[in-house]
Amino acid sequence: MRRLFQFLKKFRDFIIFLFLQLFVLGFFFNSKNYHKATMMNSSSGVVGWFIEKKNNITKHFNLSEANDSLALENAQLRAQLPESFYRLQDRVYFVNDTLCEQQYEYIPAQVINSSDNKRDNYFTLNKGTKSGVQEGMGVISKDGIVGFVVDASTHYSLVKTVLSENINISVKLKKNNEHWFLKWDGTDNKIVQLNGVTHDIDIEVGDTIVTRGNKGVFPENQLVGFVNEIFTVDGKSTMNVNVELGVNFSSIYHVYVVRNYLRHEQELLERDLFELDEQ
Amino acid sequence: MNNNWIRYVLVFILIVLIQGLVVNNIQWSEYLNPMVYPIMILMLPFQLNAIITMFVALLLGLSVDAFSDAFGLHASAAVLIGYLRPSLMKYIRPKEGYDNNLLPTIQDMGAIWFLIYASIILIIHHLWFFSMEILRFDLILLILGKTILSFLFSLTLIILFQYIFYKPSKS
Repeated sequence: MRRLFQFLKKFRDFIIFLFLQLFVLGFFFNSKNYHKATMMNSSSGVVGWFIEKKNNITKHFNLSEANDSLALENAQLRAQLPESFYRLQDRVYFVNDTLCEQQYEYIPAQVINSSDNKRDNYFTLNKGTKSGVQEGMGVISKDGIVGFVVDASTHYSLVKTVLSENINISVKLKKNNEHWFLKWDGTDNKIVQLNGVTHDIDIEVGDTIVTRGNKGVFPENQLVGFVNEIFTVDGKSTMNVNVELGVNFSSIYHVYVVRNYLRHEQELLERDLFELDEQ
Repeated sequence: MNNNWIRYVLVFILIVLIQGLVVNNIQWSEYLNPMVYPIMILMLPFQLNAIITMFVALLLGLSVDAFSDAFGLHASAAVLIGYLRPSLMKYIRPKEGYDNNLLPTIQDMGAIWFLIYASIILIIHHLWFFSMEILRFDLILLILGKTILSFLFSLTLIILFQYIFYKPSKS
């Protein structure tokens, strides 16, 4: 017994060190494996307040670029308004209500804290549950998809971006609907990867990659990026494809959080299916 | 003594804010991820034991983590250097030993001693940080590149900040 105490005394520092390391690294690796942010992050109270104050100052630095891109987007959207079209058939615009049911709604938000040079990159948005943002919602911008919400407080939310390990967003080739999972290998923040593309698929440099929209996180056919490079790996039956992202993650500011009114319905339906599968 | 502790708490808060709001935004390159907060651990008094150092480091790391969404990565690296600091201090002890009235700054201990001390601690910190962040053997060059470039930048910042925050002790 005395020897045990002597041993504990001798290695006291090391044991405490080991304990603390297990504690913090446990948190770190958990944050990688589950799409959940359990620990304090930049969407929580005091930290969020400080970051918001910082952003109140720094947002003015690139206001003119932000305004230009918003004006451009406004012009594009204005061109799609019913008023910009010459009416060929008067009735077309009045049957909208019974033919279509609103599925997606967009909550505008601004990126107030971001990183694009880490292994897992997160954004903090200035909208939270008070504006309707909830965990699991997708986030897009005018140039393409950004990521999805992993944690939301009352006024802020935390977004896991496409530039993360285990991101696994389902994407497809626009021209023939072949679909894969999107990955990021952590080396270049403008390039993401598609793994497991078989040789029989008609894919070329310059092809457009869009979201598949199968989980209801993102609407279908949202831009992801363009095929940038296709290369074969020796001894493998599949090709690796590099995709250049549409979004420039180092200068992103205005984004939209996607709310899907029908997601719950889809999840309920598919849950029954998977439960049947397991039996 | 009392006065000293208030000073440490203020410097602690200030350093976390500088790291979280200013230095975290230096993202010119994927290889450049400067970290200035280890200066807090570097500048603790000489006689402080490993346990207190580790808990200060844990608190510091978790605060920085909250600002940079790293979920414990900074805390892990900070606790590591907090654990190693007292042992390292024994190895690089000057002939006449440490004077407890002094602090481990350039003004008190001389530039050469400080550079050796700060470099060893910072390299360990950065290497651990980037290894844990990337955790892949085939990307070892990326890990080393990130470590070396960020280390040089962090060291420059830390030397700058230690002139701002720490005045020479009167002994």
